Amino acid sequence: MASIHLQNIVKRYGGFVGVQNMSLEIADEEFLVLLGPSGCGKTTTMRMIAGLEVPTDGKIMIGGEVMNDVDARDRDVAMVFQGYALYPNMSIYENIRFPLRMRGVPASEHDARIRQAAEMVELGAYLDRKPAALSGGQRQRAALARAVVRQPQVFLMDEPLSNLDAKLRQSMRVQIKHMQRQLKVTTVYVTHDQIEAMTLADRIVIMNKGAIQQVGTPDEIYSDPANTFVAGFIGSPPMNLIEGTAQGGRFNAPGVSAPCPSNVQGKVTLGIRPEDCRIGGDNVQGLVYGVEPTGDTTYLTVLAGTKKIEVKAARDYRSDIDVSIGITFDPARLYFFGQDGERIRGVA
Amino acid sequence: MPTDAPSVLAKGVAQAAPIRPTQPRRRRSPALRKAFPYLLVAPAVAYLLVITLYPGLFAIYQSLFVVKFLTWTWAGADNYTTILQDREFWAALGNTAIIGGISLCLQTAIALTLAYFAYRDPLIRGWRIVYLMPMLFMPSAVAFIWKLAFNDGRVISDLLGRLGLIEGNVDWLGSIWLSRMTLIVADVWQWTPFLFIIFVAALQGQDQEIEEAARLDGASWPKIFWNISLPMMRPVIVVAVTLRGIDITTMFTNVFVMTQGTPGGATETMSYFIYRQGFRMFNFGYASAASVLMLILTIIIAQTVVKRAFHSGKS
Repeated sequence: MASIHLQNIVKRYGGFVGVQNMSLEIADEEFLVLLGPSGCGKTTTMRMIAGLEVPTDGKIMIGGEVMNDVDARDRDVAMVFQGYALYPNMSIYENIRFPLRMRGVPASEHDARIRQAAEMVELGAYLDRKPAALSGGQRQRAALARAVVRQPQVFLMDEPLSNLDAKLRQSMRVQIKHMQRQLKVTTVYVTHDQIEAMTLADRIVIMNKGAIQQVGTPDEIYSDPANTFVAGFIGSPPMNLIEGTAQGGRFNAPGVSAPCPSNVQGKVTLGIRPEDCRIGGDNVQGLVYGVEPTGDTTYLTVLAGTKKIEVKAARDYRSDIDVSIGITFDPARLYFFGQDGERIRGVA
Repeated sequence: MPTDAPSVLAKGVAQAAPIRPTQPRRRRSPALRKAFPYLLVAPAVAYLLVITLYPGLFAIYQSLFVVKFLTWTWAGADNYTTILQDREFWAALGNTAIIGGISLCLQTAIALTLAYFAYRDPLIRGWRIVYLMPMLFMPSAVAFIWKLAFNDGRVISDLLGRLGLIEGNVDWLGSIWLSRMTLIVADVWQWTPFLFIIFVAALQGQDQEIEEAARLDGASWPKIFWNISLPMMRPVIVVAVTLRGIDITTMFTNVFVMTQGTPGGATETMSYFIYRQGFRMFNFGYASAASVLMLILTIIIAQTVVKRAFHSGKS
């Protein structure tokens, strides 16, 4: 068990900057999720912690010890890969045993530890099979068992669920979270799936273009986004971001008019989540563009000017297209962002 | 009502006349459709029939006769029974096994070692052609170069002498094992690159995540290679070595140019034996029978090796 410190980490590939000047503290036993679109540097960051990539600059510390020059195999971290990375020539039993063999764990302990790890991921009945004879979910569980069997200081998980179907993903998510709580191992989890991030994380780090956008608990990230990137990335459907002008305590855009704090002036972006919009009223005057019933809720898209605004409506809401409609915003849930995309905090 | 770009565009598309094809639809007759796969493979089949099957069948037919140029005398299985009692035949078979076996083992070991050290080097991709050079030379030219180096030009003796390892000239053809060694060296030099390039490709084709996983599991590079990369390469190794093995059993050029089977038949391979029977002693039927036996033996060995390797690869 160990804490992880990243100090001014930089990774450059020639002229391309993969990760720029990143500093991060990960507490002992914490479940931290790195979230961002592909190419944002989250996997690179994880691979630097693992020792599979060397940072161009900066310091990586695990358990208070500088790890920059320590070989990947001596860092005592275990990693679960997106493609499972099981050894195809070995049975599941041998796969789980491999780290024990390589690390010189006495052979007498192997069997008990392998069976314990396999039980933890409910794979006890498949130990003598080859990876090719298992389903995707079973393979990923075998990869998890291989990671836990040697009780590492740190778990690294690189999009471990993205090759699985939606239903399996949900059950594996719970299993991973349960296992992490049970074993109390510091975990860094990389994903581009915000649901995974929200459900698993103690804290989320949102990254874009190699830089941290915001660090916070899932609640903070959701209800207190630091900039338009975070606001637009989290939530499904994401927050509506409407560009317009603010003057004298009023925000205006084509088809949209809403109150705003007096310190918000000039060209700004208004943010409002779909669930904070109500049908009826006059903050938005527009036309129904589309209605999408999903069963437990209905998403309504309203066209105001040239901007499409998503609204979460009642489950039985139905409408034809091109019907004129008004929308009200919850005034307590309005976010304003400046031209640089950063949040303008209300002083009112 | 504010008009807006997207929905105007959508209406425009909806009102445009739908585009329908004006030409009649093309159809293919069921007969042609059935014959199509056969038509596709027909040229290859025709080629095989002319180049491989006809000579093969002709050799089997000829092996049942005693052939002295144009006079064919029916001999039945006589050629075969004589061959199986021919000491020279068994010696040639033994020589082929010894020279081929040692050469194949050396090539595989060297190629694997080189591949292990080289495959992570990005330069390998660009420089493949350099590694392939020995293979690209004409076999007979290579044989002559080695003949010069070992026997006529005495280059190797000179080099070894200058290094202080030997004194005077070595008579490479004077000893059974030295003359066999010259054949082995020539073959290893020319054909190791073939195996090397295949092994490098196999290693580079392996999933990098697996290697990284093994690294984080605590395995050193040699252990990764031995425990993971090598077993994963197994089918490729088997196929490559089988191909090379089949090729080696027909080793002829080097023998013909460098040693001619000397000393005392110690380097006479099967191919050279068949050549000698056919084109020096003009026992065409006898030579055909020997080549048929050789063919059967090669097929049996190759089949067994490949079948075993692939069977135990699965499970």
